[in-house]
Amino acid sequence: MSATTLSAAGAIPGPAKDLRVSEALGRSRHRRNMIVKALCFAATAIGLLFLASILATLVWRGMAGLSLTVFTTSTLPPGSNGGLLNAIVGSLIQTLIGAAIGTPIGLMVGTYLAEYARDSALGNSVRFVSDVLLSAPSILIGLFVYQLVVNPFNGFSAIAGCLALAVIVIPIVVRTTEDMLRLIPATLREAVIGLGAPKWKMITLVCYRAAREGIMTGVLLAIARVAGETAPLLFTSLGNLNWSTDLTKPMASLPVTIYQYAGSAFQDWIDLAWAGALLITLGVLAINIIARLVLRRGV
Amino acid sequence: MNFATTALAVTLAGLTWSAQAQQITGAGATFPAPIYAKWGEAAKAATGLELNYQAIGSGGGQTQIVNRTVDFGASDAPMAVDRMEKANLHQFPSVMGAVVVIVNIPGVTTNQLKLDGTMVADIYHGKITKWNDPRIQEMNKGITLPNRAIAPVYRADGSGTTYVFASYLSAVDPTWKAKVGAATSVKWPTGQGARGNDGVAATVQNTPGGFGYVEFAYAKQNNLATAAIRNKAGSFVVPSMETFSAAASNADWANAKHFAVDLIDQAGEKSWPIVSATFILLPKDPKDPARSANVMKFIDWAYNSGDALATGLDYVPLPAAVKTAVRGSWTAEIKGPDGKPVR
Repeated sequence: MSATTLSAAGAIPGPAKDLRVSEALGRSRHRRNMIVKALCFAATAIGLLFLASILATLVWRGMAGLSLTVFTTSTLPPGSNGGLLNAIVGSLIQTLIGAAIGTPIGLMVGTYLAEYARDSALGNSVRFVSDVLLSAPSILIGLFVYQLVVNPFNGFSAIAGCLALAVIVIPIVVRTTEDMLRLIPATLREAVIGLGAPKWKMITLVCYRAAREGIMTGVLLAIARVAGETAPLLFTSLGNLNWSTDLTKPMASLPVTIYQYAGSAFQDWIDLAWAGALLITLGVLAINIIARLVLRRGV
Repeated sequence: MNFATTALAVTLAGLTWSAQAQQITGAGATFPAPIYAKWGEAAKAATGLELNYQAIGSGGGQTQIVNRTVDFGASDAPMAVDRMEKANLHQFPSVMGAVVVIVNIPGVTTNQLKLDGTMVADIYHGKITKWNDPRIQEMNKGITLPNRAIAPVYRADGSGTTYVFASYLSAVDPTWKAKVGAATSVKWPTGQGARGNDGVAATVQNTPGGFGYVEFAYAKQNNLATAAIRNKAGSFVVPSMETFSAAASNADWANAKHFAVDLIDQAGEKSWPIVSATFILLPKDPKDPARSANVMKFIDWAYNSGDALATGLDYVPLPAAVKTAVRGSWTAEIKGPDGKPVR
């Protein structure tokens, strides 16, 4: 008697025991899953569709404007079959010098934050300021350099453009450097210190080596970011119609040239704007791919 | 390695070459940028001067010359007199241009539609809303206008073109003058905003029933349908170099202070009513007189040899008498630190 009562009482109560109920529950869960999955796919598809249509338009229109003269001739007035040589070279010079100024500063600030001032008040405020700078509109940085360099020295110059780009590079490098150094396990540091190495040796010989790929990626991404910047250059390096590599004079750049040509009335200028946009996109894409390769080799 | 050597050679060649030419840096209005670039290219061989003109907008051009960060500033709208005097600047015109009205009415070809100034103003006031409005129909007997809404488009960004067009509307329509006025950016009673001449042109092109205003070059280069407009003399004129020049020659240049002549709604049978000059601003007390002298040398070259290039890009050259007056003003107004005229 007790056995039969047990078997009846031992049944786990609830619907799961009932085969029909559990099947229905499974179906409804499956349905809901399918709906959410479909919505996720749709959202992804919409995002990709926009990206693909932008890229397709860019390639389509940009290829039409690309020719050898784009790389061999400087910008010329409408109807003179000009190119973008001065703008391409100007962009390369300003981006590289900007990165060369910004990277060491960013690297050192990032090291300070990760190694020396993890939770100190000064470190926290430096980190906060750097994060604010990271999201500051780039036109503000252009105006800042305008007031700091262009206005007092009575003239636009390529070096002012480089400084503006450097100010944008710094917080990006600070953030990635700090994040990468923080990822290094404490045990590794303790091992180095345990062997009697001073702190600076630990940082330069061990931490930098361990975080090298991550830091490099950050620098490359910073370069990719500033290569396409228009706003900080408008009020600093201004742009130049002619070939110029003089850092004390206004210098042409691809984004500024695109900005001015895209809205013009003349088809050859509009075509050059598309070609320039395609070149920047390809350049930034190449840097991103290199950054990924660097990162993968390290991991 | 090979590439690096080539790049180095190109860079060195560029350095030596740019060291030879004397650079002039100017910035400002977008409207004259193509002709300044064209003049710059042609003047390089003739004068040895290398012009770098950057189109940052009329407002930017005025600010940069006030701050003395450029050799000359350029502006479509004449500078406010008190600001100009405070900054010790000299203003003179370089070239002229016209603003035209563009339409997109299915079945109506370019210059077929006739309008007068108050009707254009009333479209932007929102008082005329259909293309087959009795007032438009009355003026355009012979063409069938559709029962379609008019879609007015205006420049959303601050612009010399807007200043010229709104000046015209203020000149022909007292209500416009009282309620909206003329500036590089005004509060449009109705319509849709678009960025830049190209934005307005594209929006009108893509909107059946569209209506807007652009610089003449944009209408011509993009084959946009323009409208004929009744001028002050009462005749309908179509946009062309002839009607633009007629307006310029009828203007009262002699009595215009700082050359800020009013070319809007000029008398004369053939005058196109929406014409304007674009201006150059130079410091009266240049710190580096050689650079100001170079700017004047360049403009002098453009006055002498640049008219054909200007008409080729749909700009209107200045009348000869005005050029002479401007040359005279340089000697009178622009003095070096030694008190002697720079040119």
